[in-house]
Amino acid sequence: MIALPFMESFGFEKFASTKIAAAPKRMIFLGMGYGVTADRWYPDTKTVGADYKLPTVLSPLAKHQKDLTIIQNLMHEHSQDGHSGSTFWLTGANRYAIAGQSFHNTVSVDQVAAEQLGKDTRFTSLQLAAKQGSSSGADGHGPGFSLAWNRQGKPIAGLNTPVAAFHRLFSNDNTPLAERQKRLLEQRSVLDTILSDARSVNRKLGKNDTEKLDEYFQSIREIEVRLSKEEQWLTIEKKSPKNPLKEPGESLEGLEEMRMMYDIMAAAMEVDATRVLTYRMPVNSLIQSLGATMSAHSMSHYSEGERRNVSESRDKANAKLLAEFLDKLKATKEADGSSLFDNSTITMGTNLSSVHTLKNCPTLVTGGGAGINHGRHLVMDDPKTPLCNLWLSLLQGTGIQANSHGDSTGKIDQLFTS
Amino acid sequence: MTLRLSIFALLLASLHAQEEQPDRAAIMPEKHREILEFYCYECHDSADPEGGLNMEELPFHISKDIPTAEHWQKILNAMNSGEMPPKKKDQLTDQEKTTFLDDLSNQMVTARKILSDNGGQITLRRLNRREYLNTLEDLLGVRPDASTLPSDAGSGFDTSGADLFFSSDQLEQYVAVAETTLRRALHLKQPKPLKTTRIDPETETSKHYRHYLSELEDIRNRADSLIANPKQNAKDLGFIDLYQAKRQKTAYNNYSPQLEEYLKRPETKTGATLILTIKGGGYTRVKVATLGPNQGGTYTLTTRAAAYHDAPLRLQYLELTSRKGTQAQHLGWQKITSSLENPQEVTFTFTHPTGEKLSYFLHQRTHQDRGDKNLWSVYREKNGLGTPPGVWVDWAKLTGPQPNPKLQKHATQILFPKPKDLTQDQYARAILHRFAQRAFRGQEPSPEFLDKLLAQYQTNIKNGEPLKAALIKPLSIILSSPSFLYMSESTGSKNLSPHELATRLSYFLSSTAPDQQLLALAADGTLTQPEVLRAQTQRLLAHPRAERFIRGFTYQWLQMERLEMFQFDARKYEEFDNATRQSAGQEIYATVRTLFQEHLPLTTLLKSDFIVINDVLADFYRIPGVTGSHFRKVTLPENSPRGGLLGTVAVLAMGSDGLRSSPVERGAWVLRHLLNNPPPPAPPNVPQLGRLAGKALSARSLQKAHQEAPQCAQCHQKIDPIGYALENFDASGKWRDQETVFHGKRNTRTKLFPIDPSGELSDGTKFKDYFELRDVVASRSDAFAQGFSQELIAYGLGRPFGFTDHTLAEEMVKKAKTKNYDPNEFIHALVQSRKFQTK
Repeated sequence: MIALPFMESFGFEKFASTKIAAAPKRMIFLGMGYGVTADRWYPDTKTVGADYKLPTVLSPLAKHQKDLTIIQNLMHEHSQDGHSGSTFWLTGANRYAIAGQSFHNTVSVDQVAAEQLGKDTRFTSLQLAAKQGSSSGADGHGPGFSLAWNRQGKPIAGLNTPVAAFHRLFSNDNTPLAERQKRLLEQRSVLDTILSDARSVNRKLGKNDTEKLDEYFQSIREIEVRLSKEEQWLTIEKKSPKNPLKEPGESLEGLEEMRMMYDIMAAAMEVDATRVLTYRMPVNSLIQSLGATMSAHSMSHYSEGERRNVSESRDKANAKLLAEFLDKLKATKEADGSSLFDNSTITMGTNLSSVHTLKNCPTLVTGGGAGINHGRHLVMDDPKTPLCNLWLSLLQGTGIQANSHGDSTGKIDQLFTS
Repeated sequence: MTLRLSIFALLLASLHAQEEQPDRAAIMPEKHREILEFYCYECHDSADPEGGLNMEELPFHISKDIPTAEHWQKILNAMNSGEMPPKKKDQLTDQEKTTFLDDLSNQMVTARKILSDNGGQITLRRLNRREYLNTLEDLLGVRPDASTLPSDAGSGFDTSGADLFFSSDQLEQYVAVAETTLRRALHLKQPKPLKTTRIDPETETSKHYRHYLSELEDIRNRADSLIANPKQNAKDLGFIDLYQAKRQKTAYNNYSPQLEEYLKRPETKTGATLILTIKGGGYTRVKVATLGPNQGGTYTLTTRAAAYHDAPLRLQYLELTSRKGTQAQHLGWQKITSSLENPQEVTFTFTHPTGEKLSYFLHQRTHQDRGDKNLWSVYREKNGLGTPPGVWVDWAKLTGPQPNPKLQKHATQILFPKPKDLTQDQYARAILHRFAQRAFRGQEPSPEFLDKLLAQYQTNIKNGEPLKAALIKPLSIILSSPSFLYMSESTGSKNLSPHELATRLSYFLSSTAPDQQLLALAADGTLTQPEVLRAQTQRLLAHPRAERFIRGFTYQWLQMERLEMFQFDARKYEEFDNATRQSAGQEIYATVRTLFQEHLPLTTLLKSDFIVINDVLADFYRIPGVTGSHFRKVTLPENSPRGGLLGTVAVLAMGSDGLRSSPVERGAWVLRHLLNNPPPPAPPNVPQLGRLAGKALSARSLQKAHQEAPQCAQCHQKIDPIGYALENFDASGKWRDQETVFHGKRNTRTKLFPIDPSGELSDGTKFKDYFELRDVVASRSDAFAQGFSQELIAYGLGRPFGFTDHTLAEEMVKKAKTKNYDPNEFIHALVQSRKFQTK
């Protein structure tokens, strides 16, 4: 058994409070798919530092302005695909890096963080990802199941409805312990059986094919790790937030779906169910819930007129939802008196700036978890500053051992200086 | 000097390689070296390689290795975005820039292909989503609900093994989906007895509208009272203030005339006239039934109905859906032709899936989302009432369920009767063994695997479960194991075993596991005999299951996902509704199917004197005399713009964004899919042409902006002119003689432009209009056939078309050409090839 659940389960909270441990650090990544209305979203590059005007489309964030940082001139040098806002956003990989392969990716920054931050929570990390429309890439996210990619560079699945996320995080299993233990045993035996077939298939394969089948073995290993963790947490009830959430409706879409997902994320942080969260947000259903009658892709090719209006109302809605989320995080206190906000790093952005542009990726960072000196508009001198430098800075700022991430060339020191 | 020599040697070497395999190297033409010398070396030379880029030593052999290709990619990006050469330095002339970028972007495409080519190796592939569903359905008789399985998001065909990932969640979902489906398949409830329910819709609808009208009247009365005497307390009358009262009275003025008119109609006493209201519940729906998980089977819905012939044609249809609103699944359309004096009976048949709970509705044809409501406002402005009614429903009768006889057969095949001489355990083992053999497509499961499955079963029995329940888990494990999920092809010998060949062939042409006959021919080894293989190929192509190949392949080949991508404004494209959109896709499949079935030349897709349509599309195309919702061949009048893919509503609508036609999308589609001359992908970071945005200009003048910047011109001068010739079709694919451009703040003002459809291809071939373009395209049948072959190779072999495949593609075209381009012959040529039969 690991330390924390043990303490929790035996009512050690009181004991712990006599010597308050520092509140845990958290990281949250919010992916916007098709970018933003570029000429309205970014602050004027002539005004940098604390003395800048928050653009109108970001006005819902005004009261948080001193707690957030907007960074310009970050990009992934290797990103080439004008419809993929999420595939490489947190990885920075070069799709064509491996000869003989037409697709390649590497680990995403949230998963690097989760290896350390996720040890003591029930869920090592949590992936939320809005359902994609019938055609892939319709929300401008590109290949992948969520924002997260594992150590092997393979996509990690996401929970794609609020109701699924709600049950995963907060529904307690009311079956007796013995029954649940039996079920774990059963699941292990299922894996063991499957593994025996996988081994006999593997023996017949050539090198290339065994590499492919390795994804299957890797999946089995991941489930095993998860089952061990489940076992550790078996006797501990899932906690409910102070103001328990109601079970979300099945049919939530667009703005209301996102608001619910944000509420679920805040609640998951409050009960410390996980410390690393990613959310690949909807675009089509968002703009449709705002009254648009066009697709997200049409909107992304905005010009003057209706499309631009939709594009800007999308930006504003995203800012508003984020502002509400920040309100919640600021209002929720940890045991040591600090707030969730003080200990978290929240990044909202995407690999796509607008239309098919992959330069100057929209990037908004907030939260006190990484020690960033907020309240400023930063414009990097080099218009090709690796976005991975930000990821590295956030990792290091959060206290995670990392010397590099993706194609990073170093930390962004300005983030931390005044 | 040495540098020059080494490049020369390298060029020689690659030229040499080129002789063996065409296109085996991507090389930047030597003529561009001057450009680099003149504009770039000053900063990027070997003495001082700024930005780490030393162009002096950069090999012109782009596909030499990945670092070289990456360097060239950087150069391409920097020039495309206008970043290089720097603004204060000398700039390339437009001519230089155009040709340089044209060569470089095309060579980059080739280089990427070369560098990601894995030498024709076919990667182990798991069943994709379609194949998984089909295979499970064929084994169990029940189609699984796969909504929890992630889609196969790859960049090429969904049969491409390397792009089909696997994740741990997926593995758990496979087990869960298999378990649910097995439960449904094996725990068959006694089929519900067949019964007929009659629905008389007026009991609901007329009552509903009367009630809604009286609510409106109540509001009006209260509002009038407040307006007459504004000193009263608004709250007493149920309003916040006078303003709100006035607003709500407007609702009365807007919505009540339609309801009054509705209730005055005598036929609404005995049936339901289908209308759409803005606030009163939307469409008039005739709720047919809500069917539960145990009511699976086939149903017949007969309804007595009549049409209002003064309504637009599209409103004279009945639409059957399951679920409603954005969740609606469209199950079909029936055109009503009789008038109220003499109503007719029409019939829908549909299958309610076992295990699901769904409601079924009849209503008028619909648009996506708010389209119908927007349209209602347009009509109200014209007639004061709203969208005119098109159909009246007297009654509906639902008869069912007719159980699927195959279900019992499938169940018995799995749980066969226990032979007397077997113990219970031996029986269970035999069930698992037989099922594993079938699920593994004739391959033998390992004894160890069977032992473990049996142990699972025994644990369940020990826990007190009955035989059937105890088998569900081990059976679902079989359906989640790699032997089932992956089409493993052993590499012991290069040749596929007969079993592996049967599997590859079956998934190619049926998207499912090989059937009994194929397995038998694999077992006795005769499948590898060319004439047997040919006969089997033809059998599969003629089988109804070939529809899965036709749809799966055609959808991806022609990039038909675009058909679903855009919302069309119902106010501007009234006839492009759900029925038209769905029928438009089906027209393409039905046409391809007809070519296969009737052995018609593939080139029919370029130009033909017939089309394959249903009544919905006949209305859309204004072709008289087509009754019934099935697709059939219809001969075209002379000089019709239809006939051939170019004239189909699907292709034309895909070449738009739902608002305007897009000469670029259309032109690029023709180059990609008909002329086999695909343009390079749109480069990232090219600034959008914002200068003309928002101005009321014809599509053709808007595209002219592409000619202004060389980085745009290099591709667009090949793409756009093809699109100009298609400008006689509006965004929804309707013929037009003038282009209507909507502009102004709310896009409500219109301006008309004459259409100039003339243009030329990049090789100089001129066309004066759409008809000439179609003839030019139709004359290039070899290019089309070549492209088709390349796509078939990629789809059928489960990997991207590689450089080593050119000979095969040419071979396929050559063979098919001798048989008048019969599409079946392309398939035969591929299946008979060595590549199809080796790993």
